[in-house]
Amino acid sequence: MAGLTLNNVTKKFGAVSVIKGVDLEVNDGDFVVFVGPSGCGKSTLLRVISGLEDVSGGEIRIGDRLVNDVQAARRGVAMVFQSYALYPHLTVEQNMGFGLKVRKVKPADIKTRVREAAATLKLEDFLERYPRELSGGQRQRVAIGRAIVSDPAIFLFDEPLSNLDAELRVHMRAEIAALHQRLGNTMIYVTHDQIEAMTLADRIVILRDGQIEQVGSPRELYSHPKNVFVAQFIGSPKMNVVEAASLSAVSEIGGDLAGVVSVGMRPEHLTVTQPTDGLFRGRVSLSEYTGAGSLLHVEVPGSGTFLVLQNGPEAAETGAEIGLSIEPENVHRFDANGLRIPSSNSLKGET
Amino acid sequence: MKPSTVNDPRRTERAPGLSLKMRGMLTAWLFVSPTVAGFMVFFLGPLIAVVFYSATEWNMLSQTSTFVGWANYQDALTRNPDFWHVMRNSVVFALGLVPMNIALALALAMSLYRPFRGVVVFRTIFFAPVVTSAVAWAIVWKFLLQGEAGAVNQILATVGIDGPNWLREPNWAMFAVIVTRVIKMVGLNMILYIAALQAIPRDFSEAARLEGATNWQIFRMVIWPNLAPATLIIVVITMIGSFKVFDHIYLMTGGGPENGTLVLAFYIYQQAFEFFNVGYASALAIIMFFIVLALTLVQILLRRRGSL
Repeated sequence: MAGLTLNNVTKKFGAVSVIKGVDLEVNDGDFVVFVGPSGCGKSTLLRVISGLEDVSGGEIRIGDRLVNDVQAARRGVAMVFQSYALYPHLTVEQNMGFGLKVRKVKPADIKTRVREAAATLKLEDFLERYPRELSGGQRQRVAIGRAIVSDPAIFLFDEPLSNLDAELRVHMRAEIAALHQRLGNTMIYVTHDQIEAMTLADRIVILRDGQIEQVGSPRELYSHPKNVFVAQFIGSPKMNVVEAASLSAVSEIGGDLAGVVSVGMRPEHLTVTQPTDGLFRGRVSLSEYTGAGSLLHVEVPGSGTFLVLQNGPEAAETGAEIGLSIEPENVHRFDANGLRIPSSNSLKGET
Repeated sequence: MKPSTVNDPRRTERAPGLSLKMRGMLTAWLFVSPTVAGFMVFFLGPLIAVVFYSATEWNMLSQTSTFVGWANYQDALTRNPDFWHVMRNSVVFALGLVPMNIALALALAMSLYRPFRGVVVFRTIFFAPVVTSAVAWAIVWKFLLQGEAGAVNQILATVGIDGPNWLREPNWAMFAVIVTRVIKMVGLNMILYIAALQAIPRDFSEAARLEGATNWQIFRMVIWPNLAPATLIIVVITMIGSFKVFDHIYLMTGGGPENGTLVLAFYIYQQAFEFFNVGYASALAIIMFFIVLALTLVQILLRRRGSL
């Protein structure tokens, strides 16, 4: 097992700069998730770490070892691909033992290690099967098993759940989390699904346009996003961000409003009140029933559409005039550059 | 309000007496009928005629025909030593051509399946002989392979090798026709292999590389097994093509020297149109048909078994 250090890592494809100077410290045993919108460079960064892509600049250290010029196979990493990359002509057992076979490990040792990994992943009954005879979830487990067998210092996961259906995704997410607890290895996981990131990660790395926007625990990123991008990327439905000047009642939110250009309010923090009681009022343009509650689209004059999560079976009907209220400590304030302004009211728990 | 179309009596009167299914079938047959007609006239008809001729002693010169039953087949298989000599030549030609063609096609495909600047130019260069006229190709090579005056021997002479008279020496003629045929046809198999290689997910070789496989191991343990279906098809079509080769032999050696390159298709032509033994030639054609059919069946069986 080992940690990972990235020091001003860059990656260019021709003249196009995809990774633009990434600094990151991953502690031994951490579960770190790279998350960001499509094209932000998260998969490229993972491939650079794995050695499948050369690094254009900076330093990559696994443990204390500089691995910039070390071949992929000698970096001590194993990767689980989005497509699983299981060899169709080999059985599950042969797939899992492939890496050991090419490294000329004795067949008896290969068998032992494959059986151990298969037991960990409950794959003992499938060892003689071919990948085409397995379900999506089983294939995913084989891909993970293949990584386990090679006993890497660091596991790399490249969007491993994106080919699974929603139910299986939730199940496999829990299995991966349990696996991390059991093995304790450093794991780096790429996804564009922020729910996956929030549920799995010790720390989340949010990337945009080849640069890190913020690194922190899921709770930190949710409560104290560094800027508007992070604030809107983390949390579902995404945070409502409006110009402060457009809200007549913004002064009632309280706190120091000097330099505040926009304010953010999470849909789950807004509460529906009588039209006359709220900080501001609007009209429900759409009410989406979700079972546990409803997602309201509320048109607030001068500010645009607010998303509001209303819990419980009762929901405001489409066309209804409602008031919206929020606790001042749940309001996020941003300056002209989109950076978050800490304020006395919204610093609850912030150090 | 307009009356319902379903209950419109005029529509009922116009409807043909055929069911929807029958009308669909009729339409389908009308569409395929040109092909079926062509198949009957140009393939099935001649095939039946050849089967009939193969059971006769028919001399084109005297225009006499006698029913002889299996005699022509017996003649070929048990009496005439030329037939087995020809079969040996055909097998040598196939066994020389197929591995050489496939090895070269695979090597070219491995070099050219990934995009790089100029890849299309290289692919075109290697594919161009496939679409070149067989006559032009053979004539040019015949010139290039001439004894002392040929360009090939002149190039060999510059490095101190005294090249043979390629097309006039029995031992070298077969080698020369195989190599020139391989160069002409390798582009086709190269394209088939390029398509097959491009269909193998890149993740396979990347996963293998991460697990410590060398380039050779990646090829042998990952790429080659995944090329098996394509290889099977390529082997079979190349093998069938090699058994049917005619124009190349006709133009380059005429079956010589000393019948050293006399292969089955050319032997059939000789018997029918040079010696006018149409019955015997027809029997040979039927034998060749069964050889090709057997090769095709092997392909189908292997594919069904899913082993390749």
